[in-house]
Amino acid sequence: MGEELKVIVFALGAEEYGIEVDKVRTIERMLPITRVPKTAAFIKGVINLRGVVVPVIDLRGRFNLEQTEPTEQSRIIVVAVGDLEVGFIVDSANDVIDIDTDNIDTPPEIVGGVKAKYLRGIAKLGEGRLLIMLNLSEVLNKNEIIQLEQIEV
Amino acid sequence: MDMNAYLSMFIDESNDHLQSLNENLLQLENDPEDLTIVQAIFRSAHTLKGMSATMGFEDLAHLTHEMENVLDLVRNSKLKMDSFIFDTLFKGLDALEAMVQDIIGGGTGKADVTSIVASLQTILKSDYKNGEGAAPAGAAKQSAATSSSSSALLDEFQSSILKQSMDSGHEPYFVQVTVDENCVLKAARAYMVFNLLEQNGEIVKSDPSVQDLEQEKFDRSFSVFTISTMPAETLREQISGISEIASVQVTPLDPESLASLTAAPAAAAVEAPPKPSEAASAAKESGDAGQTKKPAAAGQGAAASRTIRVDIDRLDMLMNLFSELLIDRVRLEQLASEVKRTDLTETVEHMARVSSDLQNIVLKLRMVPVDTVFNRFPRMVRDLAKSLDKKIDLVISGADTELDRTVIDEIGDPLVHLLRNSVDHGVESIEKRVAAGKPETGTIHLRAFHSGNHVFIEVEDNGAGINQEKVTSIAIKNGVITEEESKKLTPDEINMLIFAPGFSTADKISDISGRGVGLDVVKNKITSLGGNVVVTSEFGKGTKFSVQLPLTLSIISAMLIKLGSEKYAIPLTSIVETGILQRSSILNVHGTHMTKFRDSIIPVVSLSQVLESPDYNDAAESETEMIVIRKGDKLAAVLVDEFIGQSEIVLKTLGKYLTNIHAVSGATILGDGQVALIIDPNALIK
Repeated sequence: MGEELKVIVFALGAEEYGIEVDKVRTIERMLPITRVPKTAAFIKGVINLRGVVVPVIDLRGRFNLEQTEPTEQSRIIVVAVGDLEVGFIVDSANDVIDIDTDNIDTPPEIVGGVKAKYLRGIAKLGEGRLLIMLNLSEVLNKNEIIQLEQIEV
Repeated sequence: MDMNAYLSMFIDESNDHLQSLNENLLQLENDPEDLTIVQAIFRSAHTLKGMSATMGFEDLAHLTHEMENVLDLVRNSKLKMDSFIFDTLFKGLDALEAMVQDIIGGGTGKADVTSIVASLQTILKSDYKNGEGAAPAGAAKQSAATSSSSSALLDEFQSSILKQSMDSGHEPYFVQVTVDENCVLKAARAYMVFNLLEQNGEIVKSDPSVQDLEQEKFDRSFSVFTISTMPAETLREQISGISEIASVQVTPLDPESLASLTAAPAAAAVEAPPKPSEAASAAKESGDAGQTKKPAAAGQGAAASRTIRVDIDRLDMLMNLFSELLIDRVRLEQLASEVKRTDLTETVEHMARVSSDLQNIVLKLRMVPVDTVFNRFPRMVRDLAKSLDKKIDLVISGADTELDRTVIDEIGDPLVHLLRNSVDHGVESIEKRVAAGKPETGTIHLRAFHSGNHVFIEVEDNGAGINQEKVTSIAIKNGVITEEESKKLTPDEINMLIFAPGFSTADKISDISGRGVGLDVVKNKITSLGGNVVVTSEFGKGTKFSVQLPLTLSIISAMLIKLGSEKYAIPLTSIVETGILQRSSILNVHGTHMTKFRDSIIPVVSLSQVLESPDYNDAAESETEMIVIRKGDKLAAVLVDEFIGQSEIVLKTLGKYLTNIHAVSGATILGDGQVALIIDPNALIK
């Protein structure tokens, strides 16, 4: 029996993802987003989160998934990693569950098109449900963004 | 007692005292005869000593104590200040500062002070050899003896406190009390004696210690060193008035007996044979200094204005919350004007007035007088001038000018650079000054003053001035400009060359300035603070650096503009004027758009293109609003869709994730809660 881990579950398309609760600052409904020019396409802009300006990333765009228009279910999950504070736009976020760290496996090379290095592991939830645990520091890695920009140019 | 709770207070106060020591010593150097300054120095040193001993920073207390001994002689006119003493005291101050810095950095404040202590003691001893009087002899003996003997009746702090109380006109006494043989509650009687003594003065030391007395760990008698305002006889009568006290002996102390008590514990023990417990406990005497209270005399120099210290983070939080409130206020005003109910409108108007008062106060809270930066400069200029063999007067004016705390924190280093530059390159050596028919002593003026929404800080010297020929030739040699370019430069432009990266006119490199880093760093720093620096100079007469700084970094005036559906803010400081530009008056010059503005041709920048605006394109209009912006002396016309108006905006960063975004310097939150980006006009002009 490993440690209990509290995880926020959110959805991108058909996949379910998880982020540790202690990394999540808040979950918001969609807010007006101000576009920031000359940034990568997946950076949607900045929002006013109770007086603090927070950048927002479309997680679909970050993982090179097909981008969709936000719906009623769309949420902005604001995470804090180190001194970075960033909002993720996700299709929906509606669950907090406890998982056993023993049930988290190392990720296989390719899962659902998302590069393996963004993943911390795959959690088995039973009934064939799988939860993809995100590696936030890789998702927010700025060096890679710079490389991406250089390729685009 | 948890010392950590007091550590920050200790650090703040130590810094204050060190600063005042520095200032007063400098003042004293100009006027060595003024004993009131010595008094002020002495008080600061004394308080510092008491605090550091209480906090357990022994090296700090030790060094301060030695400095205090020297000052004491000066104060009592037993010693004349000379340059050796000044230098030693300044060295001591530097060491103290280093120790306090170490404590701030989480260290233990330990440092090797033996060499400075040794030179301080030489000063004391040389005086001792002159044999001018009993008191300094006692002081010298005392400092020499206490460093070796730890078993003295009084430790050095206690004895010096007693000595000071003598000097300040209070009476120190050695009180011996014997309680009645049949006394049941000895501790209670002892407590009553202590209570009485404390009501009428201060208890410096008791033997046995207070704890032992409270636990009745004493035979029948105890002794107390006390400072009292009462004459000996009254004191004796009052103590005898307490019931079950068998005998009281009050001995007034004079410097000699004090010195003997301190230096010769054995003798003291012999002197007081009826107290067997005393001799025994005298040996176990160990650092009671922690409990030593400051004598009342030390409190005389209390500051006139009442202040409290507040964590800067809390002020920032207050500021953030307040800007939230401002946003809500704007929203409420909008709603009230829609609802059109008079009582609601009145309430909202009242709230608006209150909140604008509040805004003023919140902003003022963050304002700090520039003095907090200026106060270390006199010392710095003195040391620099001394090391360069120059005579320089630093004249400071406007030190009470207030600036935002964030600006204050950043402006120190650039000013140090400018002052060093003036001392090193500006003011000439004494011989050169005399040869040029100038007074030997050069003058550097450091001025601060308000003007509009800015604060100006000027560093002006009456030195050699900028040699423009030399500057031009070096600039060409260092590849800053080409020879052709140099011919077109105006005198002012030549002066500005000294701010170019990698430029230095010093013939030889000194460790003060002249490594080619400095002035360009100064300029970058000031520009990054939203300020500007210009230099004017007259060859042979002097040089003036003028630094222009914004009053605050957190709230700026800006012009809000629209590009289609998007809103942006442009800082008002860089806007020259606004106007309308006919599409037909845009000229195509070698692929770039230019237009005529007044009598010059300036570039036209399409903001919608720079910002890749999704729903606005100025090319589609025949008439466009334009904003003329300025960077240095360059102008440019920026095309926008629509002006919204002028507004005070609160600066916010975009966070760590979004950095180095082209032409965007930050963000602000508008009245409707939306985020608007702040344009960096400097990025629009190449």
